[in-house]
Amino acid sequence: MAKMKFLCDEERCIECNACVTACKNEHEVPWGVNRRRVVTLDDGQPGEKSISVACMHCTDAPCQAVCPVDCFYTTDDGVVLHDKDICIGCGYCFYACPFGAPQYPQEGAFGSRGKMDKCTFCAGGPEEDHSHEELEKYGRNRLAEGKLPLCAEMCSTKSLLAGDGDVVSELFRNRVVRRQGRQEAWGWDTAYNVK
Amino acid sequence: MKLTKRNSASNTTKSGVDRRAFIKGSGIAASGAAFMTLLPSAMIQKAQASEKSRHNYDEGDIKKVRSVCSHCSVGCGVVAEVQNGVWIGQEPSFEHPFNLGSHCAKGASLREHGHGDKRLKYPMKKVAGKWQRVSWQQAIEEIGDKMLSIREQSGPDSVYWLGSAKHNNEQAYLFRKFAALWGTNNVDHQARICHSTTVAGVANTWGYGAMTNSYNDIHNAKAVFIIGANPAEAHPVSLQHIFRAKEKGAPIIVVDPRFTRTAAHADQHISIRPGSDVAFVWGMLWHIFKNGWEDQEFIDQRVFGLDDIRKEVAKWTPDEVEHVTGANEAEVLKAAQTMAEHRPGTFIWCMGGTQHTTGNNNTRAYCIFQLVLGNMGVSGGGTNIFRGHDNVQGATDLGVLSHTLPGYYGLSAGAWKHWSSVWDLDYEWVKNRFDQSSYEESGGKAASPMNTKGIPVSRWIDGVLEDKDNIAQNDNVRAMVLWGHAPNSQTRGPEMKSAMEKLDLMVVVDPYPSISAVLSDRQDGLYLLPASTQFETYGSLSSSNRSMQWRDKIIEPLFESKPDHVIMHKFATKLGFADQLFKHIKVNGEEPLIEDITREFNKGMWTIGYTGQTPERMKLQAANLHTFNKTTLLAEGGPCDGEYYGLPWPCWGTADMKHPGTPLLYDTSKSVAEGGLTFRARFGVEHNGENLLAEGSFSAGSEIEDGYPEFTADMLKKLGWWNDLTAQEKTAAEGKNWKTDLSGGIQRVAIKHGCAPFGNAKARAVVWQFPDPVPIHREALYTNRRDLVEKYPTYEDRRSFYRLPTRYGSIQAQDFSKDYPLIMTSGRLVEYEGGGEETRSNPWLAELQQDMFVEINPADANDAGVKHGEQVWVDGPEGGEIKVMAFVTPRVERGVVFMPFHFGGHYQGKDLLDKYPEGTAPYVRGESCNTVFTYGYDSVTQMQETKVSLCRIRAV
Amino acid sequence: MMKVLLLITMMFSLTACYEDTDVTLHQAGEYKGKLDSHSQTAEQREAILAKRFGQVQTDR
Repeated sequence: MAKMKFLCDEERCIECNACVTACKNEHEVPWGVNRRRVVTLDDGQPGEKSISVACMHCTDAPCQAVCPVDCFYTTDDGVVLHDKDICIGCGYCFYACPFGAPQYPQEGAFGSRGKMDKCTFCAGGPEEDHSHEELEKYGRNRLAEGKLPLCAEMCSTKSLLAGDGDVVSELFRNRVVRRQGRQEAWGWDTAYNVK
Repeated sequence: MKLTKRNSASNTTKSGVDRRAFIKGSGIAASGAAFMTLLPSAMIQKAQASEKSRHNYDEGDIKKVRSVCSHCSVGCGVVAEVQNGVWIGQEPSFEHPFNLGSHCAKGASLREHGHGDKRLKYPMKKVAGKWQRVSWQQAIEEIGDKMLSIREQSGPDSVYWLGSAKHNNEQAYLFRKFAALWGTNNVDHQARICHSTTVAGVANTWGYGAMTNSYNDIHNAKAVFIIGANPAEAHPVSLQHIFRAKEKGAPIIVVDPRFTRTAAHADQHISIRPGSDVAFVWGMLWHIFKNGWEDQEFIDQRVFGLDDIRKEVAKWTPDEVEHVTGANEAEVLKAAQTMAEHRPGTFIWCMGGTQHTTGNNNTRAYCIFQLVLGNMGVSGGGTNIFRGHDNVQGATDLGVLSHTLPGYYGLSAGAWKHWSSVWDLDYEWVKNRFDQSSYEESGGKAASPMNTKGIPVSRWIDGVLEDKDNIAQNDNVRAMVLWGHAPNSQTRGPEMKSAMEKLDLMVVVDPYPSISAVLSDRQDGLYLLPASTQFETYGSLSSSNRSMQWRDKIIEPLFESKPDHVIMHKFATKLGFADQLFKHIKVNGEEPLIEDITREFNKGMWTIGYTGQTPERMKLQAANLHTFNKTTLLAEGGPCDGEYYGLPWPCWGTADMKHPGTPLLYDTSKSVAEGGLTFRARFGVEHNGENLLAEGSFSAGSEIEDGYPEFTADMLKKLGWWNDLTAQEKTAAEGKNWKTDLSGGIQRVAIKHGCAPFGNAKARAVVWQFPDPVPIHREALYTNRRDLVEKYPTYEDRRSFYRLPTRYGSIQAQDFSKDYPLIMTSGRLVEYEGGGEETRSNPWLAELQQDMFVEINPADANDAGVKHGEQVWVDGPEGGEIKVMAFVTPRVERGVVFMPFHFGGHYQGKDLLDKYPEGTAPYVRGESCNTVFTYGYDSVTQMQETKVSLCRIRAV
Repeated sequence: MMKVLLLITMMFSLTACYEDTDVTLHQAGEYKGKLDSHSQTAEQREAILAKRFGQVQTDR
């Protein structure tokens, strides 16, 4: 069975924000909710690197473990989803997540927080596939259409990869082998004394 | 870290009442209703804005429509999903050769055009300072009447028709024809302020001024040199292709005053002082000549005038180069050596090189560099010029320019006669549409406005403000039509505001109100006409690599907007020349038939080969994207077998000839019939006794195995090939040349014998018609290197240039460097495009870049006493001042500050929100950097100098 | 009279004890949300998505 994963190849990421915008587009994500963001390290300096981050769909998801109402579940494909009807908007998953994936809309019924929203790996949520409810609450369900997350499909340099972990790592391995000798990877210049 | 799930007894009991139940029991809204308030506001707005909302998700067929992104010139393929006339989804176009499904942030957000929350919805008119909705009928009537009265009082040149790089090809062509039939050359578009110096410099070097290879061809480059360009932000998808070269081992060199995002992925980044490009390139050539790395065979066969260049380059020793540019010997040598040792290498530039008073010098220096290394006409080499807007290439080619007619024919009587014949109009009638007096001399003879270059967009404000006796036309510009063109991309904001206030009439035709609607304090005489975007119409466009693509219509025009060609039809009808404008173009109701317009320009664009790309051929290619090879762009099998994607121009001859397009310019390894080419013989056969024609270099399969001039009817007769023409072709071709023969026979026969119709010459390293025949370094008008001004002065002031007095030396003579010590430069951001109203009105993009800012080096910030994130004033030497956020970063070097030019909607500290028509103010507004950018225009094209000026920063 | 009034008041106040059986009672570690239905099996999806991945990537 497939285990869905993301991989962002930071050698190719140019911080174009296509992934961020594609996600907004596909799911009509409101202002203030950042299902996906590009993080840049050492901005403006040699060694600048960017990487696109969203929910990592952890196998042993901390959000799932700490949720006081257990509104999370993991699908057969390894996608971590949650039921917004059960969610009480406490924000504890945000504490637990190492990646800051849980987001909360700026307007909410219970004061400032509101129901948690996060990247769904474009797999919708616990409503009937392609129903109005699923669309409104969770966004489009691309996996059910046989498509992969739009952020990865639209990445300008094909640095963001999404799919079955094995398939993704196979491709990435090939890529790394093909560009051998050109690595900007950490440690390379230590080993090879490149400038 | 392994977390264990809790399995202890729950805290709630079966019998108790937990919080959820209590709330339900007491009647407060249940979770479903509570959630309604959590619905994204965008969705709620949309439900109100149009009846058709996304709730129709699973009813009705989903149609897939192919189009092309309307943002930049890469021309990424787009697949739109439309259901019940609503644009519900956007899918990647995996098989499209240019982007292979990828997009950047702007491309990924295109569907928002179908929402159009902030669009201009209906025609509006400003009356006594307030916006009033009017009908199309009323608007056109009133505008037309006013224009006709201005025409009578002041002449047709007093109405300025500013067109757009966002027109599709058909609209661009129609627009130029429209301006011609109105009777003026005061027509222009964004290319003027973007790559006009490229086109002039490059075309005058070897014949055509366009990107010579393609984005995909970069896969084959062994080295990639990027100067004055930031493709990671301006052309993100091109990085996909550049990375392919990089991952095969090609070194990337980036020369830029800033450490850009592109530089972050480069092997070598060299920072140079803004405006010192020529010095830097000559510095590299100094090393190349010194080490004998030039390709002497190529130079002997295909380059003219290099000895003069050698003399100039000899002055640029490493010390002088460092003195002028700041780049030291080691880095210059390394760059030169890398390019010399990794051939073929490609050379990329953008605005960093073009937007200077010496822009044409810069572009020619870049070309000469590639000629010296023999990198021209080969796969992986070339000068890959990345153009800006989606169809700036098409609009340039189709002549939406003040100095030429479509196809770069120019404005001579011969050019007008050619186009009059294509338009099937009497030349004398066309001539009489113009002001018959003369104000200028050309070659010792009086020249009338029909044959003199019009005012360019960079100077339109001077057309309004300058004393009318100093302008080479009858009167000032009194009416301004800003059609798909933002005003905040041109310099001298405060003067622009005054110019807008002085006009009799201002008309904005745009999907969004644009800054034009709010910058000035006009109380009336200002009309906003809603135009449709390119997704609400169809037609062809030309991407940067000269490929022509066909867009299909995705949705019907939103609200009351209309496509550009429909609006042109309305104006032409009111202004009285619709019959002539649409003589051979069918008009269905109020919409001119796009395909007829394509066919019309196919009949006349012989100079650059826009003749073979018929609607049928383009549509067939759009339906068979998967058959094109992703590196060579050649269709391998399938219905388009043998053609190159987009039939890149020149696509010679008529469509019957089925020329496949020319993917790489100047490639002699292929026959002309298969897409090969030579350098154009445009400048005569000899100069000062020296041979200008190629020597020993010719296309594969060429029957003339040497250089030859451009083809004329007489030449065909001399060669004995005249009888290869059919009888019909002979009639049309008699006395004509390859550019004016409307049958295409001369081109066909030349190619049949393996020759390029435009000749086979050497590229010129020396352009004797230009102010600087040999490109030299000149200091910018506003420079803080007063020590260099004496040795490298700018030009002398000119009395009349493109109809206007133009200053150079008188400005440079003043020393502003004490009061304005910092060098100011400007550039792009990935989230926004152009003037920015369209992209800042898109919430998905606007959220990513919410503040206008100025990048300051930490040392300069400390000197000025400003901290990161604070508001600061940026003052320009011409009196403009803007209030922006300080972004302290080491990305810019000490002494240089950078600002993006996409913002607008604030003016000198004040938010102009109230001046926007209801519901159209973009989500993000900010100061326009061009409020403080200054006077300075290229010596050949009037390009504005937006890459180097001076400023000072002070804390608020 | 007072007794009847008291009785009515007590009965009325008992209505607050109404328990809505629609309530989802949380049990630790158990997901009580709606079921996520899929029209295909995980294996089918794996094959379809692997093929799609090949289409998306340009390293082909």
